[in-house]
Amino acid sequence: MSRRYDSRTTIFSPEGRLYQVEYALEAISHAGTALGVLATDGIVLAAERKVTSKLLEQDTSAEKLYILNDNMICAVAGMTADANILINYARQAAQRYLITYNEDIPCEQLVRRLCDLKQGYTQHGGLRPFGVSFIYAGWDPQRQFQLYQSNPSGNYGGWKATSVGANNASAQSLMKQDYKEDCNLKEACSLAVKILSKTMDSTKLSSEKIEFATVGRTKDGTIYHHIWSGKEIDALLKEEGLAKEEEESG
Amino acid sequence: MDTLVAQYTQPPFSHEGYTQDEQEDYAESIPPLSLKFALPPVDRPAQFLRAMTDDHSNPDCPIKIAHGTTTLAFRFKGGIIVATDSRATAGNWIASQTVKKVIEINPMLLGTMAGGAADCQYWLAYLGIQCRLHELRHKRRISVAAASKILANLVYSYKGMGLSMGTMITGVTPQEGPALYYIDSDGTRLAGNLFCVGSGQTFAYGVLDALYKYDLEDDEALELGKRSILAAQHRDAYSGGYINLYHVKEDGWVKHGFMDSNPIFWETKLEKGEFSNVTSHL
Amino acid sequence: MEVLLGITGKDFVIVAASKAAMRGASILKSNDDKTRPLNKHNLLAFSGEAGDTIQFTEYIQANIALYSMRNETDLGPSAVASFIRSELAKSLRSRKPYNVNLLLGGVDPISREPSLYWLDYLASSAKLPYAAHGYAQYYCLSILDKHHHPDISFDQGMRILRMCTDELQRRLPIDFKGMTVKVVKKDGIQEVEYDTSKQVLSA
Repeated sequence: MSRRYDSRTTIFSPEGRLYQVEYALEAISHAGTALGVLATDGIVLAAERKVTSKLLEQDTSAEKLYILNDNMICAVAGMTADANILINYARQAAQRYLITYNEDIPCEQLVRRLCDLKQGYTQHGGLRPFGVSFIYAGWDPQRQFQLYQSNPSGNYGGWKATSVGANNASAQSLMKQDYKEDCNLKEACSLAVKILSKTMDSTKLSSEKIEFATVGRTKDGTIYHHIWSGKEIDALLKEEGLAKEEEESG
Repeated sequence: MDTLVAQYTQPPFSHEGYTQDEQEDYAESIPPLSLKFALPPVDRPAQFLRAMTDDHSNPDCPIKIAHGTTTLAFRFKGGIIVATDSRATAGNWIASQTVKKVIEINPMLLGTMAGGAADCQYWLAYLGIQCRLHELRHKRRISVAAASKILANLVYSYKGMGLSMGTMITGVTPQEGPALYYIDSDGTRLAGNLFCVGSGQTFAYGVLDALYKYDLEDDEALELGKRSILAAQHRDAYSGGYINLYHVKEDGWVKHGFMDSNPIFWETKLEKGEFSNVTSHL
Repeated sequence: MEVLLGITGKDFVIVAASKAAMRGASILKSNDDKTRPLNKHNLLAFSGEAGDTIQFTEYIQANIALYSMRNETDLGPSAVASFIRSELAKSLRSRKPYNVNLLLGGVDPISREPSLYWLDYLASSAKLPYAAHGYAQYYCLSILDKHHHPDISFDQGMRILRMCTDELQRRLPIDFKGMTVKVVKKDGIQEVEYDTSKQVLSA
């Protein structure tokens, strides 16, 4: 029944649905969880890294967190290959803005640029939508720290705390319970890592299984973004009592 | 017989005035001095000179005449202030930073130098000679009006032959009071209260016009002259070096220094907060 | 002999432009306004080749308005200056470059800081405390060098502007028919009454 409609992105089904877009969303809901929490003095992004094989080279660099611009980073859930195209597009758009206006692109504008592109792929014939959702963390002078989320349909919105990927519904409800409006970056970090520990399959976390990044303000007032090293992540896990037992002590 | 008649029919006292020779000496527009100039062996020397030296129409011209300058002079109740910069440029090249552009014609008269350095130095020296001869002949000082007219007539006689000078002649005489004349190589001669001459003139005019009044005190007037030159040295690439400052009074001129403008600039900026477009930090 | 002047102070930018529209030996109009508001806090003053000036400035004006509509936020002076500079740089290497010189006065909508940008047709751009274009540079910059301080009040700014226009009336050989004077403050752009009917003669 639906075969006439679900092979094309450009055509609505009689129920008024775009199946390809929904399938893309479905693909993402199986990807590793990614979440973001907005604090008063910064933003934290965290993501689950799916280790598929012991033989796989454990790259030290992040594969789910990316720097888009000096004022913005993002977390990815979905197809990495699709994400690479979009991230490259976003980085170029940010640089283009920088060269004409000599200042960083406002966060929402960059999100919108990406979403306009994503939207195009839900409409133009013969193309499949991008199978990626993003969580963006950024800062600009007008709206300060901001957290956004976007999905394959090209919809986006601003959030105080949000998540995408596997188990995002339970992550979302945990955040609804535990999020405090006036939390600082440190409290946001511990919230993020706690939620991740509950939504992930393994009970004990390690720096191999998660990625972490923050956007914040240094003492002298400049904005920084930082993708955490394994050591830093392990230190946080230890502090929160979520670290995997070390082999010798265990 | 005719010669005898001629001898005795001369009017009485005729020997007391100027002789025919002397009168010609004054009336003759080109003095004998000039006959010694060597001219280039070409058809029209003046045109040839212009072709060789006109930096503006031909930047590759072989002879670069020293040009850029800022000079100023103004009359006020305490006499006349004369101030100049000290930079000599030939094209883009700074040929000297220590040029004396105030020419002391004699202890009473000052001239300023803008345009061709050689032309100014040579003809103001010549003017000094004429002024001294006037004193010897008449047993009194030449008026500033007369001195400036000698120079104006002289340069006019060379008009179109490539002289390049813009000068001010100043002095105080009992009959004239403080007097100031502007003369240039076009033959212009103007009396006035205030003149700035040279490529930096507009910058000097800016500062000077805004604060000038005839009733300045001596120290105010000296400071204003100095600050006006500084303004031009800051903005005009062809002006710079030192500030040469003179005060002309009835009993002659007084020199008020040949001052390095760099420390004066920084003093003005840091202590008075002027030149706010220049940042003092990196 | 068009005159453009700009002066910044503690919380304002004054932008002034001569009123005469000259073509050949004639003055065609003596109340010409050589400025355009770009958005609430940015004012552009222009001089240069007839035709180019208006075409370019209104093109910029439209683009800045478009940005405001699309993004529901106004660009600040620094971003506007960078945008104009990039447009001038594009134009400079095109078949027929715009011959336009500009002063941009603006107040940053967020930091409330006033700023002034000097731009010329060669796509140079400089942020300055005070600036001029054309012959006004030669007469006014030395006055501004002496009398301007970064934290002057609006009244002091107007007094310095008067010194500048007096000097121009005194020394420029052509009558520029007075000045359009506008000021940009945190609450927008305002025109300032400015009388240059009094004759100014040199000493």
